[in-house]
Amino acid sequence: MKKLLAMLLAMTMVVACLAGCGKSEEKTTPETKSSTESSAVTSTAEGELTLAQQAIADRKAEAEKTGKYTKVVVSFFDWTGAPAGIDRINRKLSAYTEETLGVDVELLIIDSAAYSDDIKLMLSSGEQVDLFSTCGPGYMTCVNNGYTADLEENGLLDNYGAGLKDVVRSDYFDACRVGGTLYGVPPIKDYAIQTAAVCIGTEYLDGAGVDLSKFQKDSLGYYKCTWDDVDDMFAKMHAAFPDKIVYSTQDNMLSQGSCVDPVGGDYYGSLLDPANSLKVENVYESEIFKTWCDRFYRWNQAGYISGDALTDKNGASARIKSGAYMAMMACGKPAYENQISGECGRPMTVFDVGEPFMSSSAVSSFPWCMNQNTEDPIAAMQVLEALYTDPVVANLACWGEEGVEYVVNADTTINWGPGVDSTNSEYYPNVLWLMPNQYAAHVWEGDPVDVGEQTAAFNDNCPVKSKALGFTWDNSEYASTYTSLQNAYEEYAGKVIYGFVEPEAGLKELNDALKAAGLDEYMAAKQKALDEWK
Amino acid sequence: MKNDTKVAGKKTLKKRLRRFLPMYIMALPGLIYLFINNYMPLPGLVLAFKKFNAKKGIFGSDFIGLKNFEPLFKTKDAFVITRNTILYNLAFIVINTILAVFVAIMLAEMTSKLKKTYQCLILLPFMISMVIVSYLVFGFFSNDNGFVNNTILKWLGKDPVQWYMEKKYWPYIIVFVNAWKVTGYNCIIYLSAILGIDRGIYESAAIDGCSKWRQITKITIPLLKPTIIMMTLLAIGRIFYSDFGLFYQVPMNQGALFKVTNTIDTYVYRGLVQDGNYGISSAAGLYQSLVGFILILAANLSVKKIEPESALF
Repeated sequence: MKKLLAMLLAMTMVVACLAGCGKSEEKTTPETKSSTESSAVTSTAEGELTLAQQAIADRKAEAEKTGKYTKVVVSFFDWTGAPAGIDRINRKLSAYTEETLGVDVELLIIDSAAYSDDIKLMLSSGEQVDLFSTCGPGYMTCVNNGYTADLEENGLLDNYGAGLKDVVRSDYFDACRVGGTLYGVPPIKDYAIQTAAVCIGTEYLDGAGVDLSKFQKDSLGYYKCTWDDVDDMFAKMHAAFPDKIVYSTQDNMLSQGSCVDPVGGDYYGSLLDPANSLKVENVYESEIFKTWCDRFYRWNQAGYISGDALTDKNGASARIKSGAYMAMMACGKPAYENQISGECGRPMTVFDVGEPFMSSSAVSSFPWCMNQNTEDPIAAMQVLEALYTDPVVANLACWGEEGVEYVVNADTTINWGPGVDSTNSEYYPNVLWLMPNQYAAHVWEGDPVDVGEQTAAFNDNCPVKSKALGFTWDNSEYASTYTSLQNAYEEYAGKVIYGFVEPEAGLKELNDALKAAGLDEYMAAKQKALDEWK
Repeated sequence: MKNDTKVAGKKTLKKRLRRFLPMYIMALPGLIYLFINNYMPLPGLVLAFKKFNAKKGIFGSDFIGLKNFEPLFKTKDAFVITRNTILYNLAFIVINTILAVFVAIMLAEMTSKLKKTYQCLILLPFMISMVIVSYLVFGFFSNDNGFVNNTILKWLGKDPVQWYMEKKYWPYIIVFVNAWKVTGYNCIIYLSAILGIDRGIYESAAIDGCSKWRQITKITIPLLKPTIIMMTLLAIGRIFYSDFGLFYQVPMNQGALFKVTNTIDTYVYRGLVQDGNYGISSAAGLYQSLVGFILILAANLSVKKIEPESALF
């Protein structure tokens, strides 16, 4: 009997999958329409329930009849795969959302290494996933492959996700539009970056006898200094710790160490002066890039860089954690010192050598999207709204269960629950920056309570904002050129950006290869799209 | 084998079925696997001619003709990756066959008690994942801590070499690593073929005063020929494919080495891992299978001309 049942279930699943593949659009649209109409009728009749409240009431009534709530699946990644306590958190979450929204919510957390492939498979096979983070597969990829639903279709956002508009500014919404259609809502986070934040293990600074008192602090509380100061410190550290490697490399000198805007999603054609000009130029021939290569050549010659920098694929912070490296470069933001110290496993001191910058893709790099195939777009939209606005939902999703995973201090900051730490916590995704709204949840002890406002101010006050903010480019017409460019870059860039070859010669080699791969044609296409967008 | 099929051919279908039924049942799991893995996805090949859109599904997506094949042929890298794939595979076919036959004959002639141990040891590299192999290789060639730079070259009084930035050494390294890895496995097939040769032939040759060397060249190798041809044919059929781990992991995905390590598989992987473009991946897969199919037919045809006995079909 059981076997028969299992077989039957399997068959229905197959049939459902097949149906899901082809006819999804026709299926969902009428449903949305009819429910919109019916609720419109009732709301005018009763004159008190809004559309959103009506939808919740309808779902609750339906659940009473069938004994089963509509389920909304929310997917994103963490570093270790589904946490041990995920079922408990989902039960807690659903118990709450059944009351407030009349739905069950299931968080589907996937290992970061598998997320990109898994989510694409689920989206194209018809498996249930209603809301998902595009961090991994990429926003443009999801839009181009048709995975994402139009969030404004039939007034979806206006009627059922109005709360989103209170927490996400309209220009940030606009930045996520592709061809005028809104497919995603950006996570609330730092969009601006403080470029070139040099992070050095505090113990190494002390050991090398660096005097920090001569440095001023910037508005974020980090030491303001120049590259000469950095050179000076590195020399002292190298002398004091000859067995350790001074600088942990990563290919981020443009993305985190400059205000060059990778307009359209890549550096093959960039805006060198993004705050003032929309001219697409070759950054690899620019002074900005040359300065970086010279610096790294100098550091490499001085022995600050590992001879295996090219082959070592470990993260820069992971290497510092191992104890063999002393410094790295990243980009700063409010409350960054805590974050980087955690990543590096030791207290780090942050030096601010760059300037603040907001690139064109800063907002739209990984918005939250809705599956175009989702059964109940209204329920999904209301869950999305709750993730952004409801502190109970946000806390459960970000931190787990109060009293188990965390305890709340008197000043509303939180810390580990009794007997729990990062190694044995049953729910600790540690991906706040991709969560819909980390600031709706509690703040970790040691970070300022108003980190949300600080971050918003940091974004607003950013003096160098790209003029192309919100420009997105579909480069699928140039897929082959892009692949060639990527290969040319990988082939020739590593040597020169880590200072293994003399910059003059290395840069010429790189630029020749890029041009042979079709850089000029690619840049022209990008410029054309940008001109049309303007 | 041949005799069996002839006898069976004379019997009625029913008797034949009964006789071979256990064989079919034995083969069933393999056949099911083959069907699920190799035949069921076949309709999906239409993706190679479509612009995939999840809203419309695989079969509902728009046809775009041969556009998905463009990136494969239009890029300036097309020549390099095709050349690398074919030349490496040719080198592998020749070198691995010679080595495997050589090792198989040595093992077959060996009378030592340690024979089984040797056999296991030589098979061991085949069991090791390519990711681990890549770190073994790195242990030798690392710039800072590698065995070659720190011990061998120092001992010889030579300057260290930046191995992962020098293209010229890698064709040899890759061929060597591949031979080290697969010889043990390939030699099993030849070894079993040698063990299947009638010992009586060797005994009568020995009585006639035939030396060991002449026994090998005049008996073992000629009788191994059908196996060698079959194995080579199979390898030619896969000449457009490359061992992904060998070309991606072992050179540590090192950009500076692309000219000599980029093959069709790694190229497609690199190009598509970011974009997730199903159409172009299917196009590359279809192209590889199609050329492989033509090559194996052609190779079989030429074998049929030269030595009809040894042809596969």
